[in-house]
Amino acid sequence: MNANTPAVQVRQLCKNYGSVQALKGVDLSIAAGEYFVLLGPSGGGKTTLLRTIGGFHKPSSGQVWLNGQEVSHLPPDKRPTSMVFQAYALFPHMTVLGNVGYGLSLAKLPKAEVRDKSVAMLEMVGLSGYENRRPHELSGGQQQRVQLARALVLGRNILLLDEPLAALDAQLRKDMCLELKHLQEKVGITFIHVTHNQEEAMTVADRIALIADGELVEQGAARDIYRTPERRFTASFVGENNLLSGTVAAVEGDTVTVQVCGQALAVDRRDLPVRSGETVALSIRSELVEMVPAEGAAPADGRSLAGTYTESVYLGLTLSHRVALADGTEMVARIVGESDTPEPPAGAAVRVQWKPGALRLHVN
Amino acid sequence: MDDYANIWLHRTKWAYLLLVVATLMSPVFYVMYISFNENGFGAAQYVFTTRWYGLIFADAQLMNALRWTLMLAAMTTVLTIPMALMAAKFYKATRAKVPVVFLMLAPLFVAPDILSAALLVFFKNVNFTFQWLGALAGVSFMDGWFRLSFSTALIGLVIYTIPYAFVVILITMGRYNKEQTEAARACGASGWRAFWDIEFPQIRAGVFSASAFTVILCFNEYTRTSLLKGGFDTFTTVLVSQMLNSGMSEQSYAMSSFVSFVAIALIGGIIVVTLMRSEVAARKAQPVAEPNTAPA
Repeated sequence: MNANTPAVQVRQLCKNYGSVQALKGVDLSIAAGEYFVLLGPSGGGKTTLLRTIGGFHKPSSGQVWLNGQEVSHLPPDKRPTSMVFQAYALFPHMTVLGNVGYGLSLAKLPKAEVRDKSVAMLEMVGLSGYENRRPHELSGGQQQRVQLARALVLGRNILLLDEPLAALDAQLRKDMCLELKHLQEKVGITFIHVTHNQEEAMTVADRIALIADGELVEQGAARDIYRTPERRFTASFVGENNLLSGTVAAVEGDTVTVQVCGQALAVDRRDLPVRSGETVALSIRSELVEMVPAEGAAPADGRSLAGTYTESVYLGLTLSHRVALADGTEMVARIVGESDTPEPPAGAAVRVQWKPGALRLHVN
Repeated sequence: MDDYANIWLHRTKWAYLLLVVATLMSPVFYVMYISFNENGFGAAQYVFTTRWYGLIFADAQLMNALRWTLMLAAMTTVLTIPMALMAAKFYKATRAKVPVVFLMLAPLFVAPDILSAALLVFFKNVNFTFQWLGALAGVSFMDGWFRLSFSTALIGLVIYTIPYAFVVILITMGRYNKEQTEAARACGASGWRAFWDIEFPQIRAGVFSASAFTVILCFNEYTRTSLLKGGFDTFTTVLVSQMLNSGMSEQSYAMSSFVSFVAIALIGGIIVVTLMRSEVAARKAQPVAEPNTAPA
């Protein structure tokens, strides 16, 4: 295998269940040693994509290439992948050691070697001393670690993780996220992780692909997906973005003027093909929006909107002010940390404003 | 029972359950009672004995019938259980579950007499067809293929027992999570190895229960075997025949009781072992705290 050969390549992959198209011609390339996350809403096709890569589903059309080999026709046991499932996938009639060593036993390794490798892998995932326990004697987090050990001990270079943290509580999920990331850096193999939780995705991912309605919506580095989403759907799904709908009033050079609630907003064109009169979407992250009293001077360059203050939601780390625009659209201005400014009474006239470059344009 | 339930209602339910069981089992217990009477059925004086149990092994007709029945039960189990297991696995895998269940349970919806008579006519016609084809071809090796015999009785019993075995195995399979099979495949196991190493140990109890059930059904069956058996006798056909012609002998009572004892012991044993295993599993399943969340 060439050093530049992608670990995983998916070409025009389609998967149909009767009349339902679960995957619609997905193209994807994942580099060796990358921590890649498939993120998206439930029912979007991300698990189908992962399971097709792993050989648990046969593609309706298209190809799956692993380490430069076309494997679309191969069953899971013939592929260079291992897998961690959402939950309940440990073998209940075997001990922890038996679970971890199962794949090595199938490979007909000597018993002593199976034991040594399994014990070493359990140590790596922090479960030394748990060898003789049964799965039902472990907590959820411990069970997932056993699954990890069982998958990693096989020494394959692609690990598929199907919502591995979904069944864990919030704190344990955070801890396990970091553990997964560190483990991936340590073993250096390709991790493909499915989740619908954006915080989990942002924590572990080198790159994220957004999958929705059977299509690959957008892919890129985790930071880029968060800060500069290309597609409206990405903006709606990742982070806490305000989404506005408006009509293009003018296009002048790199600046597009969009009418929103009767007010003109200026936004960077980003080389998008946009024409006057076209309906477009705008997005802006809530932490980039500031709420100010209406009597203050409005920025003259189309970087603010007038609205009515409705309420504030205190979440400890952040405080969100909610503002209703004239057409009923709700905007959120999020402050990280504490705010000493007293909140205005409900129904008070306010403005939401932002800095240049914060607003992003999306066309259909 | 919850804390607010009426204790007398609870006790009444148990009393009702015991009454139903007692009603169902009374005839069996009565036969057992008679089987230990030196003077046999209808005698004014009851004298306890185990002599009849010793004599059953000297009754050539009964022993011969028992031998045939055991062979029939063993062969039926060997054929029925794998077929029921495959059907249950197919049911779990397919999306068209309702047609599969209907097809598997269809033999239960036809009255045993009608189904047996239909099979009898079917085998006779098939046998006639093969004989006719053999005569046309000038060969005779096909003449006995579908003559009423052990094989035709076996087919009849397989058709009879498959729905029951299917249901018993399916119930056990209901608790099995197929992600375990996928996990085994991801570890490098073939489909067969994943089944044998991971799934079978977890549904084993159901498979054994279905086997025991099949054996008992074969022992109890009269209509199908009597119509399809050809020249050999089974245990129930001998018993019924004796009863109709000359009344049951004391050995027959002893033999009936012996078979009932074995059946009750078998099913009772399975229930006791299952309960004990559940108890042990429940005791072991104590929640284990996460090391990093334990209070300081």
